[in-house]
Amino acid sequence: MELSWQGRPGLDYLPSSPTLFNAGTLHEQLSSCFLLDSPPDSLEGVYEKYKDIALLSKFSGGIGIAWHRVRSEGSLIRSTNGLSNGIVPWLKTLDSSVAAVNQGGKRKGAACVYLETWHADIEAFLELRDNTGDDARRAHHLNVANWVPDLFMKRVEAGENWSLFDPKDVPEFPDVYGGEFDRAYAQAEAQGLARKTLPARDLYARMMRTLAQTGNGWMTFKDKSNRACNQTAQPGAVVHLSNLCTEIIEVSSQGETAVCNLGSINLGRHVGAAGFDFEKLAHTVEVAVRQLDSVIDLNFYPIATARASNLRWRPVGLGLMGLQDVFFRLRLPFDSEPARALSRQISEDVYFHTLRTSNELARLHGAHPNFADTRAARGELQFDAWGATPTNPERWRHLAREIEIHGLRNSLLIAIAPTATIASIAGCYECIEPPISNLFKRETLSGDFLQINGYLVDELKQLGLWTAGMRDAIKLADGSIQQLEAIPAELRDIYRTAWELPMKSLIEMAAARGAFIDQSQSLNLFIANPNIGQLSSMYMYAWKQGLKTTYYLRSRPATRIAKTTVAEPMPGAEPDSAATACSLENPAVCEACQ
Amino acid sequence: MTRLLDPGFNLTLRPMQYPKFYEMYRAAIKNTWSVEEIDFQIDLSHIQRRMSPADRHLIERLVAFFATGDSIVSNNLVLSLYKHINSPEARMYLSRQLYEEALHVQFYLTLLDNYVPDQDARALAFAAIDNSPSIQRKAEFCRRWTDSVVDLRRIATADDRRRFLLNLTCFASCIEGLFFFGAFAYVYFLRSRGLLPGLAAGTNWVFRDESAHMSFAYEVLRTVREEEPALFDARWAAQVLQMIEEAVECEAAFADDVLSGGVVGLTRREMREYLQYVADQRLTMLGLPIRYGSRNPFSFMELQDVQELTNFFERRVSSYQVAVQGEVAFDRAF
Repeated sequence: MELSWQGRPGLDYLPSSPTLFNAGTLHEQLSSCFLLDSPPDSLEGVYEKYKDIALLSKFSGGIGIAWHRVRSEGSLIRSTNGLSNGIVPWLKTLDSSVAAVNQGGKRKGAACVYLETWHADIEAFLELRDNTGDDARRAHHLNVANWVPDLFMKRVEAGENWSLFDPKDVPEFPDVYGGEFDRAYAQAEAQGLARKTLPARDLYARMMRTLAQTGNGWMTFKDKSNRACNQTAQPGAVVHLSNLCTEIIEVSSQGETAVCNLGSINLGRHVGAAGFDFEKLAHTVEVAVRQLDSVIDLNFYPIATARASNLRWRPVGLGLMGLQDVFFRLRLPFDSEPARALSRQISEDVYFHTLRTSNELARLHGAHPNFADTRAARGELQFDAWGATPTNPERWRHLAREIEIHGLRNSLLIAIAPTATIASIAGCYECIEPPISNLFKRETLSGDFLQINGYLVDELKQLGLWTAGMRDAIKLADGSIQQLEAIPAELRDIYRTAWELPMKSLIEMAAARGAFIDQSQSLNLFIANPNIGQLSSMYMYAWKQGLKTTYYLRSRPATRIAKTTVAEPMPGAEPDSAATACSLENPAVCEACQ
Repeated sequence: MTRLLDPGFNLTLRPMQYPKFYEMYRAAIKNTWSVEEIDFQIDLSHIQRRMSPADRHLIERLVAFFATGDSIVSNNLVLSLYKHINSPEARMYLSRQLYEEALHVQFYLTLLDNYVPDQDARALAFAAIDNSPSIQRKAEFCRRWTDSVVDLRRIATADDRRRFLLNLTCFASCIEGLFFFGAFAYVYFLRSRGLLPGLAAGTNWVFRDESAHMSFAYEVLRTVREEEPALFDARWAAQVLQMIEEAVECEAAFADDVLSGGVVGLTRREMREYLQYVADQRLTMLGLPIRYGSRNPFSFMELQDVQELTNFFERRVSSYQVAVQGEVAFDRAF
């Protein structure tokens, strides 16, 4: 603990907000995330899950829950000879239950439901967040995510059909992945078990529409998440879902509720005069891993299945924040070659030092009990699953030998969380994200706050360009400086907002980083004015790049709020001044060109 | 070619004479929201536990005004705007606006039902237009301007058109553009104290809609100014100025009432200064010289001018669109 304390006052590293909320209270529930396997297909099973979720939510945990095993609409209930209403009424109840329990009175309860793409109720599931239609079939507070098998994406690409099944007919589907799933799926189709068959692209288009209209319906990929998970070395160990922020990838079952303690390194504070300070990073990582590991033992577990799982696997999730601060400090455009290389190297080093620390902890306290069941025990590390090679193979070979001898204290180490709360505390940009604007309003529980890009202001001050007029111009342009010709092109390139960067480069950077992330990352994507064609291309690319998960699709409203604090005169009302702003026909009176 | 204010019921959509209005209609559709999406849970506990009687008085008056204000705007829309703005695409927009006004009424109705649990107090709040002089005065102001055009069947002469334009200017600049902007300021003031996130979330959406209504009205004014510049003479300017001065006085008197309990952190003087500042902006937007030269005293209003970034797991994000178009493709740039 002493080590940890040395880091905190400087904000080099911050534990997650649940840790900050609950440390030192009566029930020290310090974990951020809980992942629950789908309730079994029975009334008792469903109600047991509601209870588990309420107990976890009470102590500030975000909930991820799968719903793959619950039978679909129209399925026969043998004991009463009635027909099931499908998953929607259950999720409506879950919605109310989650809203009723707020997280320790500090934050609204929050849950995300995962559904596999073959479930016969998938279409109704995708409409849960719509603001039209029967309110009894809507869940306004739940988040929804797609748990997508590779086979679906392949069929979308090939323009083939897709079949939907009732889980009662195919109870084995949630517990198989990869080739095994493909075979089970083909067999079920051949046996004529499908409830409905439709063009795969039609369903894909609906998924894209849900993303565009609600930002929800996150695309997360089942097969890659399983293939590249350290916990799935043994048959039967399966990842059934991700969590509320799509950065946790852990196995779960009826007896094991996955838990993760999170914390993030503030990268902006690791830049020195000579560039990025990898030595300081190594130290911070070590402190962070020790802090996160100790949370596992200190933690209060609201339900027994969570405790059971966590003590066996001892997973933690060390994340990053302020990547954009690093780029601003080094004056690198977000998607430039040097920025990409640095981003990858940072992730490689973080992964290396987390493993090294976890290995040292194993030497002191022993490996985690399930170590023998992990891929690491067979010498496989994350980058092997991605076919990537580390830049410094010698240190990795050495580390591999140490792991072979002593094992690891933790089965999982890296997860890049959104860091919305702690980035505000630390005063840096969120996780691995570019800013949405150079001037924006952060809406939080405690109120709304204006955030201005201090790096940009400093640059403009140095150029003598930071004036009241400049401030208003940036405000009128909604925080963009791309059209402000007075600012040098080089700066405009560096200070592009998330709306102005190609998403392709964000995805590629995420994939390059992914080889060193044993869980996953909360990767938001930004398209101001989305359409189905663009989204379907983008998510297909994300899947092909091998991402395990994507997070929110952020877009912008169709019309804007009228500006209160800067006036825009009616066009045509003042013809003289409008013409003077830029008139190529009459350059003599044009002040802009002088 | 007919002009926008030539009397009649033009039905010709192609070729479209004013595509801008049609675009505005389509953009409005994309911003569809519903009252059910708003979570009032936290608001209720704030009202019971974190707000003083003076704060609660503010809220009741405010919501009572909103509930009637949007109905008044609807009435004028039907009695005046829809009748005289002669373009089918503009009338499409107005139909959509009418729906939005009804939605706003529903929102404030739901708020009052939730915020004021006592039946008698609630009935009193709904009847505010009869028992609160400050709301009465504002309603009187609005009614006078609606009445000024209610007997106009056709706006054939220049004088009739000026009457209509004053009515339009009044609703855009004084009612939606000043009364409502005043009301929004109270909401965001409370929000700056960390209070009533549900009210603020709904108000964000209402604010967005009202902003669109205002830009529609200004677009009509701009178009008419282009087609018939002579209508916008010195007398028009003088009348607009007088109308805006009167509106500022009405709203300032309302502020005196709303803040009568002594709301910590918000003074009547600041509110008046803010209203004058907003009024100057409306004058600027109309191409007229400013009247007051006041500064904006509310730094929290600056927050409304910039992009929002919400933690989706704490509050509902308000920046999505409906009616998204297109087909599956794999070769689009992103």
